[in-house]
Amino acid sequence: MAIARTAEEAAQFNTLLNKKYRFFDYKWDLVFWVTALPVVAAAADITKLLFAGDWDFWTDWKDRQWWVTITPFAMIIIPSAIQYIQWLAWRFPTGFTYTAVGLWLVSWLGRWLQWDVFVNYPLNFVWPASIVPAAILTDWILLKTKSFVITSVVGGMAFSLAFWVSNYVTLAPFLQPVEFMGSVLTLADVQGISYLRSATPEYLRMIEHGTLRSFLEETTLVAILFGGTVATAGYWVGQAIARILAIWPIMKFMKKV
Amino acid sequence: MATPSAVAIEDRSPEKVQYGPTDWMGGWKTCVWGCLAIILVTAVHWWYTSRYAWTVGIDSSTPEFTKYFRSLVWAELLIVGAGTGLWWGWLVRTGREIIDKPVTPEEEVRRIAVFWGLIAMTSLTLYVMASFWPNQDGSWHQTAIRDTALTPSHIPMFYFWFPAGITMTIGTYLYGRYRLPKVYGPDKGFPWSFAFLIAASVTEMMQVAFNEWAHSLWILEEIFAAPFHWPFVLYGWLAAGIFALWAETIIRLLAIEREKEAEVAAASSAAR
Repeated sequence: MAIARTAEEAAQFNTLLNKKYRFFDYKWDLVFWVTALPVVAAAADITKLLFAGDWDFWTDWKDRQWWVTITPFAMIIIPSAIQYIQWLAWRFPTGFTYTAVGLWLVSWLGRWLQWDVFVNYPLNFVWPASIVPAAILTDWILLKTKSFVITSVVGGMAFSLAFWVSNYVTLAPFLQPVEFMGSVLTLADVQGISYLRSATPEYLRMIEHGTLRSFLEETTLVAILFGGTVATAGYWVGQAIARILAIWPIMKFMKKV
Repeated sequence: MATPSAVAIEDRSPEKVQYGPTDWMGGWKTCVWGCLAIILVTAVHWWYTSRYAWTVGIDSSTPEFTKYFRSLVWAELLIVGAGTGLWWGWLVRTGREIIDKPVTPEEEVRRIAVFWGLIAMTSLTLYVMASFWPNQDGSWHQTAIRDTALTPSHIPMFYFWFPAGITMTIGTYLYGRYRLPKVYGPDKGFPWSFAFLIAASVTEMMQVAFNEWAHSLWILEEIFAAPFHWPFVLYGWLAAGIFALWAETIIRLLAIEREKEAEVAAASSAAR
């Protein structure tokens, strides 16, 4: 509820709150919040799938080098756009969380029906990463700072870090070492070898190259830090989508020729 | 009180009059039944693909593939083509008859509710085409060899739901142009909100052609995040224009509220 600063402001709020409308009722709100979710979730999902989908599809691709760098960038774009819209329209710091919940729903529906039931991959091999905790944190940063600039910098970093921390809970069991055909691999690697993917590149031959390993135990932190800076850039891509494609066109018409 | 020449709610068929403009079975009926219909069609489509993709959908050169999947392509194209032509034609034909007729506030509110129902159906269609089927496309291509452009996961997605996206976005515009002339009437010019939304659905369809051409040229191994898939994302962002539609009609709803208040105030002062 808004807090009035003067008696006059309080009277205005009171009038507004108690105003009786003829045509406005709860259904308009309900229809908007429910029916906007599919397109929001779809935009978030297709952005994730085609920018970082390979890292999200399989446990053995959820590595410490590329997954934590690319995925936060791909997953922050649409939540940022919706955060701008909801903050502008209602001063609701809920855009990230709203998008994250929608994305969670459509991701699990997709993995269950299209990967588990359709192809028979077990869900513990194809589970999607979640951004719900990271999204709540980023919305909270906007609530406290009321600044898109600070949210982009601090929130971008926090989003990336929270993404890793919250998904590590699910991922950790699959990173346990096992001996497989004379080599030490992770359980996730064994999943990748055991379940046939005839048209997918083997990730083991794509990762663990370069000099990032020379950072020893800091590898993940370096990748998260860089992922955070990339997520900050992604935040502004989302802001541009909202400002240019969603808000600017309101009541704008092309001139007739 | 409506002016004598206005299209009053009572002028519409008796079974519709019993519901108000914002009752679930009044103005919101399109939203409720339309969304349920999309969910039902998606479910049937998914069941069919799941049932036959792995048994007869692997090799497009077989007679079984022709029987179960090529025939499905033709059925989809016929249904979406004929359905689009009939719906758009009906919207334009009836729209031209009513666009200049004055309407009561109640009727205009009902039409805005129907318009929101069409936006809801568009939103759901965009989800089905941009999230539900791409998930199957991913699981299929990374498991089975890419056969032809008419591979089972493409058939529902590219040849039914992608065109259906165009059907919904342009159909929703035609509804607004003729039924809500105070917001989208031809005298105002073409709205940028619809320009972006329609562009999203049209460019996605064009990207399908590029996608298949590129797959035939470049790679056999499927990297889902491959750069030539990225235009699907960039074009999809244009759908953000859908938010402007909600805003534009909310602005009109507020104006109707004010007009109604003024009308009631004028009537009560005249009575005194």
